[in-house]
Amino acid sequence: MAETKYLFVEHERPFTYEEDGLTVTRGSAWSGPGCHLGCGVLLYTDAEGTLVKVEGDPENPYNQGRLCPRCLGLPEVTNHEDRLKYPLRRARADRGKDLWERISWDEAFDTIEKVFKDIKKESGPEAVLFMQGTGRDIAPYITRLCWSYGSPNFSLFLSGVACYVPRVIGLAGTFGAFLVPDCSQVHPDRYDNPEYVIPETIFVWGNNCVVSNSDGFFGHWVVDLMQRGSKLVVIDPRVTWLASRAELHLRVRPGTDAALALGMLNVIINEDLYDHDFVDRWCYGFEELAERVQEYPVDKVAQITWIPEEKIVEAARLLAKSKPATLQWGVAVDMTKEAIPAGQAISTLFAITGNIEVPGGMIVPPEILKYVGGWGKELLPADANTKRIGQDRYPLFASEAQPDCIVEQLESGEPYKVRAAWIQTSNFLSCMAADPQRLYNAMKDLEFIAYVDLFMTPTAMALADIVLPAATYPERNGIRLGDGAQRGETINKVTSIGECKSDMEINLELGKRLNPEAWPWDTVEEMFTFLLKDDTGMTFEELQEQAPAYPPFQYRRHEKGLLRKDGQPGFNTATGRIELWSTFYRNAGLDPLPYFEEPSPGPGATPELLDEYPLVLTTGARNWSMFHSEHRQIKRMRALHPDPIIQMNPKTVETLGLSNGQMVWVENQFGRAKRKIEATEAIDERMCSTDHAWWLPEGDPESFYDVFDLNINNLVQWSPGKSGFGSNYKTALCRVYPVDGRE
Amino acid sequence: MGKVFVFDHAKCNGCRNCQIACKDEHVDNDWSPIAKPQPDTGQFWTRIEETVCGQVPKVKVSYVLHMCQHCDNAPCMAVAPDAVYKRDDGLVIIDPEKAKGCKELVESCPYGAIFWNEELALPQKCTGCAHLVDAGEIPHCVDVCPHEAIRFGDEEEFAEELAAAEVLCADRADDKPRVYYLNLPKRFLAGVVVDREADEVVIGAKVTAENLDTGEILVQETDDFGDFWFKKVDEAHWRLYVECEGYLTRVIEASTVEEDRNVGPVYLAHASLFQG
Repeated sequence: MAETKYLFVEHERPFTYEEDGLTVTRGSAWSGPGCHLGCGVLLYTDAEGTLVKVEGDPENPYNQGRLCPRCLGLPEVTNHEDRLKYPLRRARADRGKDLWERISWDEAFDTIEKVFKDIKKESGPEAVLFMQGTGRDIAPYITRLCWSYGSPNFSLFLSGVACYVPRVIGLAGTFGAFLVPDCSQVHPDRYDNPEYVIPETIFVWGNNCVVSNSDGFFGHWVVDLMQRGSKLVVIDPRVTWLASRAELHLRVRPGTDAALALGMLNVIINEDLYDHDFVDRWCYGFEELAERVQEYPVDKVAQITWIPEEKIVEAARLLAKSKPATLQWGVAVDMTKEAIPAGQAISTLFAITGNIEVPGGMIVPPEILKYVGGWGKELLPADANTKRIGQDRYPLFASEAQPDCIVEQLESGEPYKVRAAWIQTSNFLSCMAADPQRLYNAMKDLEFIAYVDLFMTPTAMALADIVLPAATYPERNGIRLGDGAQRGETINKVTSIGECKSDMEINLELGKRLNPEAWPWDTVEEMFTFLLKDDTGMTFEELQEQAPAYPPFQYRRHEKGLLRKDGQPGFNTATGRIELWSTFYRNAGLDPLPYFEEPSPGPGATPELLDEYPLVLTTGARNWSMFHSEHRQIKRMRALHPDPIIQMNPKTVETLGLSNGQMVWVENQFGRAKRKIEATEAIDERMCSTDHAWWLPEGDPESFYDVFDLNINNLVQWSPGKSGFGSNYKTALCRVYPVDGRE
Repeated sequence: MGKVFVFDHAKCNGCRNCQIACKDEHVDNDWSPIAKPQPDTGQFWTRIEETVCGQVPKVKVSYVLHMCQHCDNAPCMAVAPDAVYKRDDGLVIIDPEKAKGCKELVESCPYGAIFWNEELALPQKCTGCAHLVDAGEIPHCVDVCPHEAIRFGDEEEFAEELAAAEVLCADRADDKPRVYYLNLPKRFLAGVVVDREADEVVIGAKVTAENLDTGEILVQETDDFGDFWFKKVDEAHWRLYVECEGYLTRVIEASTVEEDRNVGPVYLAHASLFQG
């Protein structure tokens, strides 16, 4: 591929320099611990090479010197006394017991290599699962490990892969690419870029982005834009700081976002407020869409969503007249069973109002390295694809095995028996698995489980035979090419802890043992250079000096033939247009148009359950100081949020005879979890909201750190949407009663 | 020259960077003679408090900074003049040597900004990162604030803004705190006007709020959602007159003394129903 001329910022100093007796190293913050963003950081190390301080890099346009508590508290994680420092082994008969012995890396790799090779010979490579957690920096490497070994079964233990991927895959089917809000993040000169336009209105939909910092989106950008005049429309069941400052706050009932979007489409189409020119030139299937939205008149939508009619109409009109308008959407869209049509409906709003590929609107994020799809699929033997779990039922799954089908297959052994698992950076028993006790039972008799993480976790304690210690990001080199708009960043090693190795080193070393031809590099740095060279023309070492590197960006690429491989104008879909009526979904046997289905159980689908389970429950509220199941052992971070919380309206608390601060069971027909009540007016009386991924590092290892008492996913089922994507993590019914009361 | 902190309530979105930066700066670091190390937990020299006010569906979320106010007439200095001193730049410092055992300092602070360190038998609090200020830098909490909600500098530099600023506790102005607050939230008084018969909101109804304590009169028209929302009102008892052509006027009373008030729906009846 032709070398692209990248844009850079000017650096005052080299990427590493001395200052006041400390060594300062510039780099990118990509996990773990922490999130998906890759903020520019300055890492300070002392003469002993200990990480002592982290600051935001003011030269990095991405975060402009700013960080969040999770990076400011990074040294507390990296240097924590409880870090895993050496490979550990435990006899299979002792699973669940705190009986570990330290082994060498060679012993660990020898064991894993032998088991995996034996299984491959006896049962075929598909009998080994390769599972990752949230999009920490391992997707390219674990997929390559999986596929080069020969197994098609790379995935994650998240029902319906209900995080980010449904929107990515969904939009690939309708827009031919993902879309992100344009907050000027593609320009090194940011808000000052002459082509950039401040969005008139930002729709913050299904995420509390200043807290969550999700998917390559730095939440403070929204505040930057508010300071530059953007108005907000916030779609969130809870009152948040952003909602408090919004022009309109639509307090949507959890799980009904698709209905809201369809209602707004109804207004925009019926009031003739859509962008005729854009729709005529670039959209396909408008007539069918216009017909479909007639099924969603505003009064009906108001009833479904709990949002007053006037506000739905106002939001629709505001969107239609805002030039440009943009959308910062989040995981709430994915964490409903029919996530695909929900994402389709929401994104359609921004298509028919002409906000695609315009400055300050929604843009196709520049991509240097493919992320979601993984790396090295060509290494997989052609016939292996037919053995990918779930591919027969869910054709939209082209790379990953379908998680809900994996759980079923673990239980049934049909059509073939899964024998072993490689689990890398995924504490799924505390965090992403639905019905974690079901998954535990399905996993506990596997022949062999190898596990890689930063700390001992409930998942490792419950299931692993070998545990490998992973490096935190200041302990490793790496490249940051993740989700959102990509830019070339390097993660730079400044310190070492014990015998920890980076995830990439672990994958490279194991990869060389399992399939040396697929892993021709001697070092991870050589591997990074290989990944970078094609598109950036830079080596890893060159990028270290120069990062961040911005691929040159243009707006309106669909007009210029820059979104399609064939160089034709239009979008990268079968029709070359944005498919409001999706040929892609149709070919997969799915409804080509967006629709809403009542979340079940829920007040709309199962009103008969309301007597027993009167409250709508939403889960996964984010906290500043914790990333998913991480940070529970970091004292100063835990002090900001010491307990698992359920937020309820004070009136609800009173009606139920409960009190603020009381420990309660939150329960539904599937299970229960312990929570502490936080009475707050931020929550509607008909619902409650809770955080997720709780375990107690201070608890008993052999009761898996109390995870089965605390995991809110005890109330969530393995139950994906029709496409195999999406699951009801954020919408359920529940009742709440005192812990010391009825058991 | 006097230093001040200026906190802008409108800009704080509650990220707690300041809280963690304070830990980063003071835990495991001995800045004697200014301060001994802060314990990892149990003390919040800098802390952000969340306030959720109003009643569903009219609710606001906001954040306020709590820290040592570096008062010119500091109550702690009055209690232990030998152990607490004020620097020339206005920062109030608890001398970690002289204050050993002075547990009464904890109670002396009306802002709850002084903490007891059991291990060191020492009262401790925010130093304004005096060790950094002496090196020509700014306090760490200020440095990490993403939106300059906390700023620090010479009093003169902020003179214009300080004219509109307030202190954290209005009744403690005599302490002469050196932490100034901009845009602190005031009470709100809100509701929605509804035509009960039609089950629809009433747009453009005139709402008059009479402050029964001062006689102040505020007037608003309901917006496209039938809402009225008086913001930044006094803590007072109110009488609300809700009028609209074709409807009988309604009068209701409400109080914002204890908290923000959403009076909820105010139902209007058609005047015609009562004719003939």
